[in-house]
Amino acid sequence: MGYKVCFDEVNQIFDELRKEYEIWAPKRFPGKGRYSDTDLIRYDKVKTVEEIVFDEKSDFPAKEVLSPITEPLFYFTEDEWKESKATSKKLLIFMRPCDIAAQQRQEKIYLGNGGFSDIYYERMHEKVKIVMMQCDLNDDTCFCVSMGTNKTDNYSLAVVAEDGALKVEVKDDAFAPYFEGKNAEDYVPSFPTENITKLTIPEIPNKEVLTKLKEHPMWQEYNKRCISCGSCTVACSTCTCFTTTDIAYNENGSVGERKRTTASCQIEGFTDMAGGHSFRNTPGDRMRYKVLHKFHDYKERFKDYHMCVGCGRCISRCPEFISITATVNKMSKAIEEIVAAENK
Amino acid sequence: MLQLRVPGALIDAKHLALVQELCQKYGNGTFHMGMRQTLNIPGIKYENIPAVNAKIKEYIQDVSVEMCDCDMEADDLGYPTIGARNVMACIGNSHCIKANANTHEMAKKIEKLIFPSHYHIKVSVAGCPNDCAKGNFNDFGVMGIYKMDYDQDRCVGCGACAKACDHHATGVLSLNAHGKIDKDSCCCVGCGECVIACPTGAWTRGDTHLWRVTLGGRTGKQFPRMGKLFMNFVTEEVVLGMFANWQKFSAWVMDYKPEYLHGGHLIDRAGYVKFKEMILDGVELNPEAKVAEELYWTEAEQRANIHVKPISKHHKAGPQA
Repeated sequence: MGYKVCFDEVNQIFDELRKEYEIWAPKRFPGKGRYSDTDLIRYDKVKTVEEIVFDEKSDFPAKEVLSPITEPLFYFTEDEWKESKATSKKLLIFMRPCDIAAQQRQEKIYLGNGGFSDIYYERMHEKVKIVMMQCDLNDDTCFCVSMGTNKTDNYSLAVVAEDGALKVEVKDDAFAPYFEGKNAEDYVPSFPTENITKLTIPEIPNKEVLTKLKEHPMWQEYNKRCISCGSCTVACSTCTCFTTTDIAYNENGSVGERKRTTASCQIEGFTDMAGGHSFRNTPGDRMRYKVLHKFHDYKERFKDYHMCVGCGRCISRCPEFISITATVNKMSKAIEEIVAAENK
Repeated sequence: MLQLRVPGALIDAKHLALVQELCQKYGNGTFHMGMRQTLNIPGIKYENIPAVNAKIKEYIQDVSVEMCDCDMEADDLGYPTIGARNVMACIGNSHCIKANANTHEMAKKIEKLIFPSHYHIKVSVAGCPNDCAKGNFNDFGVMGIYKMDYDQDRCVGCGACAKACDHHATGVLSLNAHGKIDKDSCCCVGCGECVIACPTGAWTRGDTHLWRVTLGGRTGKQFPRMGKLFMNFVTEEVVLGMFANWQKFSAWVMDYKPEYLHGGHLIDRAGYVKFKEMILDGVELNPEAKVAEELYWTEAEQRANIHVKPISKHHKAGPQA
């Protein structure tokens, strides 16, 4: 069922929804960008539709709603412990198709990897209802069409903002009562069909080629360019790595909390082990690890699709202008070289 | 030599055609990049001055009157004074990623307050305390800064901010045992290196543009010296309120008779405490603002005992005998 609802009415619906839901959407933070007088767009709770940024991609992805950068897991007092509480409300999250595809990948890691389900993710995941934001961005960092993440039917509502009104497709009957009596108008969301940036993901034919690719000099370029800041993985819609920290209260070491914090494979020290050993000691090694994970290893393990959803946030957040699409193209060339040398 | 003022060092490129024409038609065919970011045309013959002054009317109209809103009219007689020197600026945040401010906009507002005037003053506006604009060697150095906000929940404890602060700022950040950041706020210069380095947006600039103002810097054959920190974390209103008092202060020091004397010497004659009282007269300081109680400059004297002279040769501020 389709509707066209003016913003004032949308806000009334939001008021109703907020009795049951937290509404999360990309929101503008003026002056909070990396450079002065630039803005930051990231997910936050919203009360009105006007707060939602429809016409620009958020700097940070929707994953922050389900797995916040810092999250308390449990609190301990001597031999007792108490689990942290998730929000009591359900979560209504505005996402683009690429963000929705990214949640699918996150679920694989958090809920389906190694036969283990992460309860902290699960308890958030159960609460989520998705509002699909029709995406007409086509900014030059987007490559969702190449990754096959441009289309989705995994949503409860689909919306597009037009002239101070929201066109809405109500797909999930649970939301029908909120739209009762509102102005009915047919609306079928459209999806991106072509991006400015196109990417062909190379096939790695066998393990020998993979081994040679890992040793290929192409990765050394990143020793000069990458500063190992981790901006790409924090901005990545699909990265899930975290670390845990115990915070003991100063005056009593047996009382405190355990929390988890987003971690990045790009930051030095990520692979540090007890005893002082560590892997991937150069930016090039770390870049290779990330790129192969997103465009080979994940698919090799789960057999369905690549991990990367083509949102392009890693490109727009990299302070050194490293492009993931340019990197994958270099990788394709390297693979061609390796295969050609083998066939000689 | 003709010097065309370029307040804030940024103008429409269309003016370059005029500069080339003046250099080739009236000058000696060369062009000099002015030390204070003016457009310098050397070798204009005495008899050509009226023609050149008439030619630059449109430039003065565009740049001084319209761009800077200076209280003057452009005519055929060239610039009315050369007292206040061109307000310099680095490129600022219209291009530089390190800058905390739009330096051109600030320079234009300062130009409006100090020009045209017979009283000498040298001001330079920098986008950050790195001070590429060399405000430290001007009477007033105006540098864009911020008070930073830190969102502990967005911090991943990577330590990039602490490293950046150590490398190119004052080293006031450190990673604590809980994987979060401690800050020694006494010595933060408000440069924003932490914000630039932060991968998660845990560090952000505060809501208000703030400024750092250094005072009394100068070059010179006699006693060059670097400016000292005069005001820290002040708002634009405070900076402009202060500049609005400059002409009044200068007039009083010189007993209302302008003569060719550099602005820094006026501050010396009045003494810092008197200067502070007059320059901040009626200026409402913002709550974060800090002002130097006293200032002790260190002069690189080119001659020993340059200040030691018969008392009859000492200069005096205010009403002259």
